[in-house]
Amino acid sequence: MSLRRILALLYREAVQGPKNFIFIFTIVVPLGLSLALGLIFGTFFSGKPRLGIVDPGASRLTQLAEAMPGLVVRRYASEAELRDATANGAVDVGLLVSADFDQRVLSGQSGSLTVYVWGESLLRDRVLIGTAIADWLRELAGHEPPVTIATTMLGANNELTWQQRLLPLLVLMTVVFGALMLPASSLVSEKQRRTLHALLVTPATRAEIYVAKGVLGVALSTVMALVVLALNGAWSSQIWLVLLVLFLGAVLSAEFGILLGVLVSDINSLFATVKGLGLLLYAPALIALFPMIPQWIAQFFPTFYMIDPVIAIVQRGATLPDIAGQLAVLGVMIVALAGALRVARER
Amino acid sequence: MPEPAIVAEELTYRYGDLLAVDHISFTVSPGEILGFLGPNGAGKSTTVKMLTGQLRPASGRALLLGIDVARHPKQVQARIGVCFEQPNLYEELSGVDNLRLFAKLFGVRDVDVNALLRRVGLDGRGADLVGRYSKGMKQRLMIARALVNRPDILFLDEPTEGLDPTSAEAIRRVILEEQQRGATIFLTTHDMYEADRLCNRVAFINSGKIVALDTPHNLKQQYGKRMVRAEVVGSDGKLFTREIILDRPETPAEIADLLAHHQVVTLHSEEATLEDIFIRLTGRGLA
Repeated sequence: MSLRRILALLYREAVQGPKNFIFIFTIVVPLGLSLALGLIFGTFFSGKPRLGIVDPGASRLTQLAEAMPGLVVRRYASEAELRDATANGAVDVGLLVSADFDQRVLSGQSGSLTVYVWGESLLRDRVLIGTAIADWLRELAGHEPPVTIATTMLGANNELTWQQRLLPLLVLMTVVFGALMLPASSLVSEKQRRTLHALLVTPATRAEIYVAKGVLGVALSTVMALVVLALNGAWSSQIWLVLLVLFLGAVLSAEFGILLGVLVSDINSLFATVKGLGLLLYAPALIALFPMIPQWIAQFFPTFYMIDPVIAIVQRGATLPDIAGQLAVLGVMIVALAGALRVARER
Repeated sequence: MPEPAIVAEELTYRYGDLLAVDHISFTVSPGEILGFLGPNGAGKSTTVKMLTGQLRPASGRALLLGIDVARHPKQVQARIGVCFEQPNLYEELSGVDNLRLFAKLFGVRDVDVNALLRRVGLDGRGADLVGRYSKGMKQRLMIARALVNRPDILFLDEPTEGLDPTSAEAIRRVILEEQQRGATIFLTTHDMYEADRLCNRVAFINSGKIVALDTPHNLKQQYGKRMVRAEVVGSDGKLFTREIILDRPETPAEIADLLAHHQVVTLHSEEATLEDIFIRLTGRGLA
């Protein structure tokens, strides 16, 4: 196999790719669906609450605020700057702490805080910051909570939100559509336009042609799947592990796409075949949508071994040993499909 | 004696029950132009596909430049150029980019694509997208693509079909230049004039078998009838045509009688065409 020839073929694929509607779909559909879901579930424009602080006396209150993970804290030098930032919406809440605040509170005197609230901030953010400030004050004053609240979750307290349940479908669509359809449609198009015959009477081998087509699909769909995870708030600290699983899943999809491209003679037949196989490809994600369906059924579908490890990492914090078995199955399927591709002859 | 550039030994290919190519054997010498003539479905394309490594023969073997094509297709393909009958270019790329892509696939670094385009009459159009080319321009670009690796053997499938006379003549000139360079040319064509003019030898293929293979001159000598065709004024004053077959004992007397006793208006010698010979050998035309 020649890297030089693969790169030459890949360059052509990359030049022609953006003119292909499947290429555009691979980018637009996941982004569009992610944005739509973000809007529907109200998570898209709702980032972390932002608190602005002016603290000339280096209060412990500011340290406590900065230590809080779910909060964005910005410091300002003067009250005027804080007011401007709050008025412009740069922060949801502005907090002015007097220089002797800690001293007064600790000595039992009455301290005062000035709070500015951006009029357009979300109520949820205002409440969250307000509650947090109350907690910090109590901690600063060294008081025990006056009331202990016992919280008990009732009902399906481990149930995922709809957005979390839709994530497997979104990721699977991104990986399968891009990595499967891009090489498959490119190969079928080359057969229909007979350019494949021209390539095959050069020193370029079928394997080199297939690899060049697969690489573009794998690269694009892997990147888009990562973007989808990020847009849906599922960015994991184990991003390299997620990347590995997505890459292997994309390789499997690309192999399957190339096999379809070899076996199918025209683009209409390709779409009809993929449509027919849709249930098989997306079944694990569809099963995940409905927790009342026994989830073990998903294991009978090949794409389960691509999507379940990803979801396990980003939603359940799984590590490599947790998903090693599924990765092994994925690896076996990749090798088996590579063997099938070697055997398959173009019709 | 130099080793033949192409050797076909008992080449056979079946599509299911249909025997498309039936144990054909021939050789082509280096620098020779062999015309491969036959009607649609005769087995021409299947033979070319076996020779170029696109199909594996059911039996028999093909050697190109001494290399077994079925065993080492990529070694062979690195040294041949193939021009297909139907345009199969990347229409979203420019002419130059099409040639550069194939040059890279052949590992040719020093290709002068503009010189190639000039040779086929496409100078100044290399930057245009191929999708905007006319059929003739695409055909000429396909010839240029087949030359990008300076092939030792060139396979040309109907290279001038559907072209205007100027374009066809330009391509014929390129074919002869390639022969002068030393390339062997395997030319599939329906155009008898082209075959007669360009080919050192022609092979007639019909129903998967080679029915004749020789120089055009020898084929005409062997199978054709030379004749003299005369337009003569009849006794009623009307013109009629008279044909006298040559190369017979009675021919001189017949010609003498014609000239002595008739008013001859026109007199032409006529040779059988390759198509006449093909029809005579196979009972069917080439179209």
